[in-house]
Amino acid sequence: MTELLIRRRKGMTSVKEMPVLQDGPPPGGFPAVRYARRIPNSGPGGVAIFLVASAVVSYGLYQVGQGNGKRRAYKQEKFEARKAILPFIQAEEDARFVREKQKYLEEEARIMANVPGWKVGESVYHTKKWRPPAARRIYADYQ
Amino acid sequence: MSSEEGAAVAPYIPVTTSSVLMSANKHFAHFCRAQNKAFLDCKRADPNPEKCLHKGLDVTSCTLSVLKELHEKCPKEMDAYAKCMDYYGNEFKLCRKQQQEFENACPLKA
Repeated sequence: MTELLIRRRKGMTSVKEMPVLQDGPPPGGFPAVRYARRIPNSGPGGVAIFLVASAVVSYGLYQVGQGNGKRRAYKQEKFEARKAILPFIQAEEDARFVREKQKYLEEEARIMANVPGWKVGESVYHTKKWRPPAARRIYADYQ
Repeated sequence: MSSEEGAAVAPYIPVTTSSVLMSANKHFAHFCRAQNKAFLDCKRADPNPEKCLHKGLDVTSCTLSVLKELHEKCPKEMDAYAKCMDYYGNEFKLCRKQQQEFENACPLKA
């Protein structure tokens, strides 16, 4: 029924006389579609691109070298400062260690007073070289 | 301070935090070179702490005297530099301004 409303013409006697209504091309046909390749040969050549890329990379690596020099200088400054400070900190720690060791030895003497043949502060090693304490007990002032 | 009539001022005791020590490192390297070297040579010879106590005392007293002298000569610049170092975690390159002012106020040749 809607077909009749759309495709009706004057003087029609039957639906077989309705004109054909199709979706079709415009008059003259569609314009031609281009499918051929068009890759131009203009622009910089390979040598030019290579040279520009090399220049950029070289500049970047040069900047990397400069940066490394700067970082080395910063590290040097930091290490020189630490070298200057190290003896003071070590001396303080030595004094603290000796104080704590005295307390530790007194405690050991008190505990082992009744044990015959016990040498207070005897080294557990045979060597005469300095060895840091084996039992990690000289940290009394951190409790 | 208003009380000037004979009131004893407490002697300045340097606070040896890492930022203060790092701020004054060039002065330690310059003024306490001999004591530091002697102590480190002693430690290299014998790492036993009890053997190098006297040289360690030299190092400690030299360091503290350097800090006292810096406090007398340029307290403001020293405190500003130490505060900046404390804020930035002992990064020298972030405290260049304060470092310059400190080194102008208390040069190493003093």
